[in-house]
Amino acid sequence: MNDNIIIRAEGVQKYFKDGAIKALDGVSAEIRKGEVVVIIGPSGSGKSTFLRCLNLLEVPTGGHIYFNDVDITDKKVNINLHRQKMGMVFQHFNLFPHMTILQNMTLAPIQLLKKSKAEAEAKAMSLLERVGLADRADAYPSQLSGGQKQRVAIVRALAMEPEVMLFDEPTSALDPEMVGEVLEVMKQLAHEGMTMVVVTHEMGFAREVGNRVLFMADGKLLEENTPQELFGNPQHPRLQDFLRKVL
Amino acid sequence: MNKVTPAELWLTIAPEWIQNLPEWLEDILFKGYKCFIYGDRYMLFLKGLKHTLILTFFALLIGIALGIVVSLIRVSWDKNGSEMHGPAKWVLGFFNIIGKIYLTVIRGTPVVVQIMIMFFVIFASSRNKLLVGCLCFGINSGAYVAEIFRSGIMSIDAGQTEAGRSLGFGYIPTMRYIILPQAFKNVLPTLGNEFIVLLKETAVVGYIGLSDLTYAANTVGGNTYEYLYPLLLAAAIYLIMVMFFSYLVGRLERRLRNSER
Repeated sequence: MNDNIIIRAEGVQKYFKDGAIKALDGVSAEIRKGEVVVIIGPSGSGKSTFLRCLNLLEVPTGGHIYFNDVDITDKKVNINLHRQKMGMVFQHFNLFPHMTILQNMTLAPIQLLKKSKAEAEAKAMSLLERVGLADRADAYPSQLSGGQKQRVAIVRALAMEPEVMLFDEPTSALDPEMVGEVLEVMKQLAHEGMTMVVVTHEMGFAREVGNRVLFMADGKLLEENTPQELFGNPQHPRLQDFLRKVL
Repeated sequence: MNKVTPAELWLTIAPEWIQNLPEWLEDILFKGYKCFIYGDRYMLFLKGLKHTLILTFFALLIGIALGIVVSLIRVSWDKNGSEMHGPAKWVLGFFNIIGKIYLTVIRGTPVVVQIMIMFFVIFASSRNKLLVGCLCFGINSGAYVAEIFRSGIMSIDAGQTEAGRSLGFGYIPTMRYIILPQAFKNVLPTLGNEFIVLLKETAVVGYIGLSDLTYAANTVGGNTYEYLYPLLLAAAIYLIMVMFFSYLVGRLERRLRNSER
């Protein structure tokens, strides 16, 4: 087994309403350490469902997910421990509105990693520094712009020092002028060697930052290649059709 | 031994200037004296007030505790029941059904009937009216509080749970640190209303002969054949307590909201 593989999905299926809707129909993929994998596809293709299956926010109906060679779809596995090492960023940020930015970022490190308050706050401040939001540490989420919220959401996940970061359409809910600042943070993160799985509609980001791009449609993984190949020389007719529409 | 009537006593103790007041005014003062001072009747009101406050306070505590537990069981079952397996599912399912029966029965029957059943049937061997009263109103209030909390929890966006779980929090810590603080803030006005209702509802405790505020007013009215003043006083005391309570809830509400602006 390749010990560079950090996440391995094996024939993942997700059915809703007792099989009437097949959101995922046997998807297999591997994520290697330090890699930026971008998942694209039309809406309803199952790409978000697949991403959410990777940390079991969506429990697969069938198939297996291995995280560091542990089958996390096994009922006996304590998924909470594994999720600590898989950061996740959501389309709608999902910051905790009743806490300040600093509290948002230190809650999990203090409660779960048992860090001291001072230690967690120091780490949080240095992360906020990196995304240029240190001066907003004591603000509440409702006082931030969308782009700022998403940057906070990213560093909140980073505060847990995850091994892999999952991004679920991180820029889709943003005003156009705020997309850039979030993508910039993600780019920076990629350059630092973070393993990332990104579901996005930002083809530019996929092309520029992605090591590999997965194309999904109708709950299936139809094509998988380097960005150059996938965008430059698409094979599957569905992908050709999709690219014609979005590019 | 001949007891001195209030009227006789009044003539001996009321200063001359009062007796020289216009008749209607003197009449009011005399009735006030008869209802509240003669025979230390104000003590009846004080004792009644004490019982009303004790009842409300402990019923409140029991109600909140019961309400949180029942609402968490109901919400957990609704959210996770279908995905659970094995014994855990049966246990939670069982408690969920118990919770549903509790809510249906308690909310479906009048509290007066409940308290009579509690005192005359279930705790027939107990003469501790206050304890039975606290228990009964607590159990009654718990059913309403449970539904209030449940609506509060359900009003929180599912993304909040997902964010908590994705950081590695289990279901219960996610509830504790992320969902419940937000839910509590959302339901505070409704909860405050429930507490006001509870305070006034304790007035029916007279049905089992516990001398609360209303009972005291009724007793004095019965003894003096003068119902207006005792009942007005009781009503005024309830009103003042409710206003004070609303004020406290309002302050708490504002403090919680301020943290977000």
